[in-house]
Amino acid sequence: MNTSPPGREPDGPPRAQEGRPELAGLLVSVARGDHAAFESLYDQLAGPVYGLVRKVLRDPAQSEEVAQEVMLDVWRTASRFDAARGSAVAWVMTIAHRRAVDRVRAESAAAQRAQKVAPGPVSGDDVAELVETALDRQRVRRCLGALTPLQAEAVKLAYYGGYTYPQVAELLGVALGTVKTRIRDGLIRLRDCMGVTQ
Amino acid sequence: MSGQGHDLHRLTGAYAADALAGPELAEFEKHLQRCPSCADEVRELRETAARLGMATAIEPPPAMRQRVLAAAGRTRQLPPPGRRLPSLGGPRRAGRPRRGRRPLAAAALVAMAAAIVVLAVFQVSTQHRLDQAQAGNSAIAAVLAAPDARIQTSAATVGGTVTAVTSAADREAVITTAGLPAPSGSRVYQLWVLSAAGARSAGLLPAGAGGASSVLASGVTPGDRLGITVEPAGGSRQPTTTPVVLIPVRV
Repeated sequence: MNTSPPGREPDGPPRAQEGRPELAGLLVSVARGDHAAFESLYDQLAGPVYGLVRKVLRDPAQSEEVAQEVMLDVWRTASRFDAARGSAVAWVMTIAHRRAVDRVRAESAAAQRAQKVAPGPVSGDDVAELVETALDRQRVRRCLGALTPLQAEAVKLAYYGGYTYPQVAELLGVALGTVKTRIRDGLIRLRDCMGVTQ
Repeated sequence: MSGQGHDLHRLTGAYAADALAGPELAEFEKHLQRCPSCADEVRELRETAARLGMATAIEPPPAMRQRVLAAAGRTRQLPPPGRRLPSLGGPRRAGRPRRGRRPLAAAALVAMAAAIVVLAVFQVSTQHRLDQAQAGNSAIAAVLAAPDARIQTSAATVGGTVTAVTSAADREAVITTAGLPAPSGSRVYQLWVLSAAGARSAGLLPAGAGGASSVLASGVTPGDRLGITVEPAGGSRQPTTTPVVLIPVRV
């Protein structure tokens, strides 16, 4: 079983965090009720939040509703952000992903969604992509391409598809234990490829 | 280390991708608390997953901005964790021990104990994720411990009871249900704060747990009413059915 991380191939300095070092500071201000800080946080993160939610939910109206809830959650729970436990981006994106996934699972519409299983390409949807994230997107695409096909599929179905890992196992026709390992190995390889340090 | 522990450790990736559900999620979260290396790995893989998320960024609908900013203006924020030191408990009459201030009736104590039991269930409930659980539970515990906590219990029209512990000083209420029948199909129970200004959603009641759950409602003021309705999956923006229970918020 290949659980050891492959050789690192850092791709320049990590952008997502270092390009937005002020986000953590903004969150601290937001926690104190600073509306201007919230506006600026919104302007930086509403695009990623909406994009991720829409990637998982597909439906534009529902995605907008959930993305709104996410941004309001950020406002409401900003005092719970702890910079020692992770970056501001990861904190916000974790809230967004959970909200989206909770919505998917609450609806138990898995049967209907199974027909549209194959996750679309990372880009190319009929939506306006944000220019600022072009580099992120390129890097993610390149790093996903460096995974084994099974690792890449497992990670994409779990994260972009919002499926539980037993559902992923079923969709890919492989054993539960295999999927468990592939998701982890895939993410570990992505971590190394993207130079994520914590 | 047992094979079991090793097996749980392999779930870090699935957990970071929110691909765990049910008892396995609860079990892994318990494991996380005693496995610092797992927690470190989860943290790193979360950062990694966040990059995957950032790459999906698209232009959000323009109208969303104004709606979110306006909603923030109407929404009370959670206090930082670990607040409510005794010295911050608001004006208190000198020389009067807090215990004697508002003697709780035996029934109220029972309700409070029930709420605490529900909290314990809550913590390992399948839907609940670690951070939310911690944030939610400490906020709920804070209301239960508020010096001006007031307890009201009402029967729901569909069966079961609903208990509200409100703190006027904190403008928060904890709603605890017991024995509420599961709504039909994929429908859910949604909690509302009803005021002269209209209805505001305070969230969905977590499913399962045998009709027992606790939910925190913020921005609650005396004169408001707390209502629970049955809504389609995912909840509604405004109530669409007659409330199964209505509890007036008193001072």
